[in-house]
Amino acid sequence: MQRNRPPSPQTVKVLRALAAEPARWRYGYDLGTEVDLKSGSLYPILVRLADRGLLETSWEPSVDSRPPRHLYRLTGAGREFVAALTAAHGARTAARPRPHRRVSEA
Amino acid sequence: MPFFFVLLLAPIGVAIALYRRNPRRFLDGPTEDVPLRLLRWAISLLSPQRAEWGQAMLGELAHLDGRMRRMRFAVGCTGAALTLPPWGRAGAGLWAMTVVTAASFAIYAGLVVDFGLGTGGWILLAVFAIICAGYLLGTSALLRRSGVALPGLLGGVFATLVWLGLSGLTAVDQVTFIPSGWQKGVTMLAVPAAIGAAGALWRRDPAAGRRAARLAALTAGLLELLYASIAVAILGGGGPPDQDGGYTIRGTVSDRLGNNIAHLAINTVFIALVGWAAAALTGYLVRRPPTPDAPLAADPTRET
Repeated sequence: MQRNRPPSPQTVKVLRALAAEPARWRYGYDLGTEVDLKSGSLYPILVRLADRGLLETSWEPSVDSRPPRHLYRLTGAGREFVAALTAAHGARTAARPRPHRRVSEA
Repeated sequence: MPFFFVLLLAPIGVAIALYRRNPRRFLDGPTEDVPLRLLRWAISLLSPQRAEWGQAMLGELAHLDGRMRRMRFAVGCTGAALTLPPWGRAGAGLWAMTVVTAASFAIYAGLVVDFGLGTGGWILLAVFAIICAGYLLGTSALLRRSGVALPGLLGGVFATLVWLGLSGLTAVDQVTFIPSGWQKGVTMLAVPAAIGAAGALWRRDPAAGRRAARLAALTAGLLELLYASIAVAILGGGGPPDQDGGYTIRGTVSDRLGNNIAHLAINTVFIALVGWAAAALTGYLVRRPPTPDAPLAADPTRET
């Protein structure tokens, strides 16, 4: 059974980075550098996102006899998930009571 | 004395086997850098469902320059490959071995605190923690290999039961047992050889047999370590005096803990080496083509 735990802060960072330009295919190393995640943390996140159908993968054709690179971008479901995540975050922020300003600060 | 000859001759045997496997590489050295070799090894541990992700890591590494950058990337990917699910039945094996190791460590730490073994005791405890972590890492890597988990774990349990059968089950038996010649022959030669041969026959593959022998060595080492640690915890500084024991309670406890670690090392080395040789010999005698178990066989992105 698929567990739907709330995503970790690192996963949210990856999702937001991918959602910034949803149509663009991204390389794993560049994505890790952008969100400041080591490969050991990044790849398990990418695997989980792909397993949940939130991430689309593709292979870039090989050049200079070097092996092809794997490319990543959000699926439609992934974009919806990020939108829902952003909305939920906004709702939580709005619902949080603002701290009262003290008279001396006014 | 004959057992020291085994230890002395084993590296020569390993060198001959490596030469026979790939003479050019043995003479010329590796043609790939360390990060690439590390990553190739790591992705061979991935389950077939995750093979594509291994190729993705290899593809990314091929486009990275700079030794340190490549090394950091490869080390990170290795950590990911070692932990990525699915584990299947191997996950249960790793959990069991983790519990066994943690229990041994907890007993050791408790004895260091309880008997006030001092700075030396704490240093030994740190060394013990590193050894335990290394054993668990090796166990997790071997458990992920196809067809290795069951024969390896069963082999380890078998070796432990034979050892306990010969030594006796009580705490006193554990701290005073010194095997006779034939008992050494059984525990250090016959049992490891049987494990290696059985592992090779299990999959009709000498490579699987060698890995099963290594896993059995780690498993038996950790299981016997736990039993021996419990024995020391029961006896403390009491019980019969050791032949080479300390002259104080602290010294005796420290000595017994040190003996356990020495037994762990000797046990592991002998089961792994003799089992390795037996698996290789069995493979040679059976002469069946090995079954590939690594996804690298169908590697479409091999770096040139």
